[in-house]
Amino acid sequence: MIFWIVLLAGCILWIVLPRIGVLAHYRTWRAARERERLEDALKHLLNREHLGRHATPESLGGALNLSRTAVMRLIEQMEEQGLLETRGMELHLTAEGERWALHVVRAHRLWERYLADEARMPLAQVHAEAQRREHALTADQLDELEAAMGYPRRDPHGDPIPSRAGILPDAEGTPLTAWPLDIPGRIVHLEDEPAIAYEQILAAGLHLGQTIRVLERTPQRLTLSDGENEYRLAPAVAANVNLAPLTEVEAARNHTIPLSDLPLRQTAEIVAIDDALQGFTRRRLLDLGLTPGAVVYPELQNAFADPRAYRVRGTLIALRQDQAARILVRPQSLN
Amino acid sequence: MTTPDEVLARAEALRNRLPSSFRDEIVQSLYAEAEQIARRAVKTPENRQYDLDQRIDRLVTAPVSGLLIMLLLLTVVIWLTVSGANVISDLLFTLLFGFGDWARALFVAWGVPWWITGFVWDGVYRSLAWVVSVMLPPMAIFFPAFTLLEDLGYLPRVAFNLDWLFKKAGAHGKQSLTMMMGFGCNAAGVIATRVIDSPRERLVAILTNNFVPCNGRFPTLIMLATVFVAAGFGGAAASLIAASAVVAVVLIGVAFTFLMSWVLSKTVLRGEASAFTLELPPYRRPNVLRILYTSLIDRTIFVLWRAMLTAAPAGAVIWLLANISFGDGSLAIAIARWLDGFGRLLGLDGAILLAYIIAIPANEIVVPTMMMIYTNAGMMVEAPGSDSAIRSLLVDQQGWTLLTAINLMLFSLLHNPCGTTIITIFKETRSYKWAAMSVVITLGTAFIVTFLTATLARLAGWP
Repeated sequence: MIFWIVLLAGCILWIVLPRIGVLAHYRTWRAARERERLEDALKHLLNREHLGRHATPESLGGALNLSRTAVMRLIEQMEEQGLLETRGMELHLTAEGERWALHVVRAHRLWERYLADEARMPLAQVHAEAQRREHALTADQLDELEAAMGYPRRDPHGDPIPSRAGILPDAEGTPLTAWPLDIPGRIVHLEDEPAIAYEQILAAGLHLGQTIRVLERTPQRLTLSDGENEYRLAPAVAANVNLAPLTEVEAARNHTIPLSDLPLRQTAEIVAIDDALQGFTRRRLLDLGLTPGAVVYPELQNAFADPRAYRVRGTLIALRQDQAARILVRPQSLN
Repeated sequence: MTTPDEVLARAEALRNRLPSSFRDEIVQSLYAEAEQIARRAVKTPENRQYDLDQRIDRLVTAPVSGLLIMLLLLTVVIWLTVSGANVISDLLFTLLFGFGDWARALFVAWGVPWWITGFVWDGVYRSLAWVVSVMLPPMAIFFPAFTLLEDLGYLPRVAFNLDWLFKKAGAHGKQSLTMMMGFGCNAAGVIATRVIDSPRERLVAILTNNFVPCNGRFPTLIMLATVFVAAGFGGAAASLIAASAVVAVVLIGVAFTFLMSWVLSKTVLRGEASAFTLELPPYRRPNVLRILYTSLIDRTIFVLWRAMLTAAPAGAVIWLLANISFGDGSLAIAIARWLDGFGRLLGLDGAILLAYIIAIPANEIVVPTMMMIYTNAGMMVEAPGSDSAIRSLLVDQQGWTLLTAINLMLFSLLHNPCGTTIITIFKETRSYKWAAMSVVITLGTAFIVTFLTATLARLAGWP
């Protein structure tokens, strides 16, 4: 009898206890979910404004996957908080709303940078993971994260990261669909939404910093080349890839080959390390003396030719082939 | 006048115009400076050492000779350790236990109550002496031998040769070195993961290190292989079969290391391989003093100290369990009986499980604890000296079968890390979560594998 009373009392306590009880947990969880939805709405509005169009209740409902009544309630609530104004059917961010939205975008892109460079998560998963994590950090924590990564300017897809002051530069470059034929350009931006198009771009093997040319453009498809491989993309997908003209330094990268293709025991000079390789991995390579201008000499390989060992600045350093492929070298003429 | 805010705003604007390669340029200029200084200050004489290095390198990284050299060196080191340690172990055993007996007799002569004498000398001291005498000698041989190979510059070449395998499992080539270290001691293997510079791969190496059987488990494996697996064969065939059984168990452990590394890098620790950079230093003449220092002070004494810290309380617990009466026997027997059902499910029995629980500080004292429970002794005791005596105790009195022996070998290989290793994992990762994870992964694997073999064997009509 006493046992059952104690058990029952325990159960009730477990449910209603403030802060550690089930109800309290549920309330915190609900609040977090609501905040996430609000922040996603802010992001959608900012995104729309950036494209020069204004969001409507319909577009918001579509983006957040909400019913019409739920959207209206959300809009009402955001208006009360002074985050947006409605003008006719259009939704406009207030200054306060824009500040908050930029904070979320900043959190999202810094997270993407961190996940891609330091946690080395596959690029296709980075966006979804950042989407989950972007709501949890304060502005000060973001500053710390930014400083720890050395103030990155762009996320792994090439989108600019807003500064704390809330300045958001425009995305760079011209879409592939509008790029002139046969002029080499550098990939500066890969749009990560919708995810299906982005996965196709990644699956094709395109990456940030790559130099490509458009060989042929038909209504059905675009044919691209990076001098070695050919890529085919549907125009709808290609519109999500932006190119920019080559700078002088990049133009000098012609006649280079990846270090992984350099034959054994042939001397070469390092020209550049691929821009797509950032963060920890890049720092490590630079620290070991694999800097532009250094002379490398593939001296040794194991039974499977992966990894190979290179003589650089007098020391012997082994690199895996997929990493060596990110280092561009110019072979020195044999004499 | 410019205000600080204006300066910051200007810096912000300028930062956005920097080319993305400005970091590379900073490093480049540092190296240029360093090169200039080096050119002025360093003279390079004609170098014949370099040619020799290259020739050795080609030999040890060639497909066939490289593999042969590696296996040969590993076998020699392990053989030296196992056979050499026996001699010193026996000596230490006699010495330490002689002292224990003498001190115990002194206590009895002074009329100290029996439970104080028992607790101190049969419990705490006995456990400490046991751990020291079986743990110290193999480590004192293995670590110097291993450090010698390290100092010669050979070990990075092993990582270089084997990296392709580790790459497939999403791990780092240097994990091969930490695994080899694990043969000596898993706690030392966990410490050795410091050479892996990327955090993800380092965690993979830490969490899977325990699948490599350490010195403390080798004697158990060898004893079980000789007494049970090779039973019924005579002469040379018996030792060949026993040796193959031990090698097979080691290979299973290595296979689990790769499997678990792969699973981890696909689930909890997912991510692409980060920087694999491995320096292959020039071959050097070994520095004997440094080898002795690092292997004996940094590794042996360090690990032994941690083991002793955990062995003392375990000795106390073991003695208490064996000497507190409960029902018609001791508390240990009562618990073993209670665990028996679960133990049988895994093809083991309750005494074995209890021994693994209370002898958690070091794998070396698992068998003595097991023998204590079986013989109903008041303290840890050695296994009987001859094979036939072991068989009569375990098979005739305790109902062991070949399945029990094989599952015990598997359990010994896969079960949770010893207390010393768990503490080391915590100290290295600074996280209770990862320390707990290392136990969950290994113990989970051990339960699943032994349960499966036991069930399959029973379904096949095998006892």
